[in-house]
Amino acid sequence: MISLQNIEKVYRTTNIETLALNNISLDIAKGEFLSVMGPSGCGKSTLLNIMGLLDAPSRGQIKISDQTTDNLNDKQLAKFRNQKLGFIFQSYHLINDLQVLDNVELPLLYRDTTAKERRQLAAEALEKVGLSNRMKHFPTQLSGGQRQRVAIARAIVGRPEIILADEPTGNLDSAMGNEIMEILLQLNQNDGTTIVMVTHDEHMAQKTHRLVRLFDGSQVL
Amino acid sequence: MLKHLFKLIWNKKKQNSLLIVEILLSFMVMFAVFAFAVNSYQNYVKPIGIKYEHVWVINYNNTLKTQNSDSLTMFYEGLLRNIKAMPQVVDAGFSSTNVPFSSAHMSGGITVNGKRITYVNQFNVDDNYLNTLGATMLEGRWYNKQDGISKEKVTVINNTLKEKAFGKGSAVGKYFNDYDNKFKIKVIGVVNDIKFDGDYQTVGLSQYNRFDTSAYHWLQRILVKVQPNADAAFESRLYKFMANQMKNSNIEIEHLPNKLVAYNKFTLVPLIILSIVAAFLIINVALGIFGVLWYNINKRRGEIGLRRAIGASGSSVSSQLVSEALILATFSLIIGTFFAVQFPLLNVFDLSAGVYLTAIGFALIFIYFIVLVCSLYPGKQAAAIYPAVALHEE
Repeated sequence: MISLQNIEKVYRTTNIETLALNNISLDIAKGEFLSVMGPSGCGKSTLLNIMGLLDAPSRGQIKISDQTTDNLNDKQLAKFRNQKLGFIFQSYHLINDLQVLDNVELPLLYRDTTAKERRQLAAEALEKVGLSNRMKHFPTQLSGGQRQRVAIARAIVGRPEIILADEPTGNLDSAMGNEIMEILLQLNQNDGTTIVMVTHDEHMAQKTHRLVRLFDGSQVL
Repeated sequence: MLKHLFKLIWNKKKQNSLLIVEILLSFMVMFAVFAFAVNSYQNYVKPIGIKYEHVWVINYNNTLKTQNSDSLTMFYEGLLRNIKAMPQVVDAGFSSTNVPFSSAHMSGGITVNGKRITYVNQFNVDDNYLNTLGATMLEGRWYNKQDGISKEKVTVINNTLKEKAFGKGSAVGKYFNDYDNKFKIKVIGVVNDIKFDGDYQTVGLSQYNRFDTSAYHWLQRILVKVQPNADAAFESRLYKFMANQMKNSNIEIEHLPNKLVAYNKFTLVPLIILSIVAAFLIINVALGIFGVLWYNINKRRGEIGLRRAIGASGSSVSSQLVSEALILATFSLIIGTFFAVQFPLLNVFDLSAGVYLTAIGFALIFIYFIVLVCSLYPGKQAAAIYPAVALHEE
């Protein structure tokens, strides 16, 4: 599903050159739930950004759904992300000026869908995460766990094959964290969605199919 | 997407209210500027109505000691005969002080079928006035000597007054009453509209009255149409002639073309001042829009990063921000247009509806243009935001 070959990412400033990822090769199968762990600054989020086509590697090749992404232009990358990938972030990244339903609809705005279809798909996604009764609320009226569930609904509304989650439980207490993890596991088991999750939580990582550990930009496990 | 943007802006109306008010005020100022400019332009393209190129105005004051009307009449008729006899003079006639392109105005009113019409410019003229100024009769006739002995009070009006009082049909032979509704006045002629207040001012309602001999006591202007070859030497001779004839009188000779230039400058001053004020306001609004959008982009980097992540391309982020600015402007312009259309509906300032509607159109285009220009660069900056970085900032 996702194939990374010899990925290297170097950040350059005028004086300093920082190697964020060093020769990472990784194959993630369809339907796999992979967690990435490592200390802060080891390159976990950089790896996720590269998998999510939000950042380009300095060297190496990425294949997603058997498609190489090196030659895609900005518009093609945007379309690819919209159709194949769903994102979940630690800080939710909800738009506070929009109601929950409108937040969930967002990815569909960049597709050819009617307003009615968007409403229906967003409502279904919210039902899946157990937030049907919060459609008309604004994000500021919700708890952290509920916000993250809205973010999950937004990630799955377009029915992507892959979900990339960057510390989805990082801002939540253990009970809410477990709730979110439960939803992600169900998405993986029931819908066969491939999930890559960056986490600091060993307990959460143990629940996934496979664990990859990074240290100073290199894969150690 | 448009509905989505409307919703987004509507939900942020408190934050956007200041900008909406700013754009609204700018629209109203631009509407005023354009209404003024369109009206001035429409007046400018209309014919001036007279052949003023070789017309001079002699200003004098009556210093004759006699109070006897017959003596005065004899003196002034003789004076005019002598002026007309000069080889460089084509025609000449007496007039009240409100000659073309002067700041003097005399206004009164008339009553037509019981309805009063006010702000009618009153001109006291003689039989030579029409020919001296080179105006044209549209119907009927100008005054002649017979009108001096006629028992019936007669008058000549301009086309604008004719249309206001009698509509599109003929006015000759019709009557109206004086302002106090005490006596009847018969219309004997309709003269073309003359732009007495220069190129840019609206032609008003005008009534030309043939003065009687008692007016020689206070008439202070002689209009003289001269030959094209009349030069400074002739002007000097004419001055000396007047000075000799009218001892102790302050004689001054002015040329209508010079008076027109001076008057036009005078009438353009308000437009120039308004334009300068508007320019400052527009610069202010432009900087305001630019600043608000710039601030919004920095405040919304997380949102922009998110939109990029979930499928927005750089250009769609850019066009979203530009569209938001245009929608915001639309809110202001809807309110502004509502106020602006009250002007033609309530007939404020007595300008035609066409002037107001054209001004609304120009003001709308102008404001949209400013908003578009000011939002393009911030929109471009937003498109350049790196999603991976923006998403990690919050």
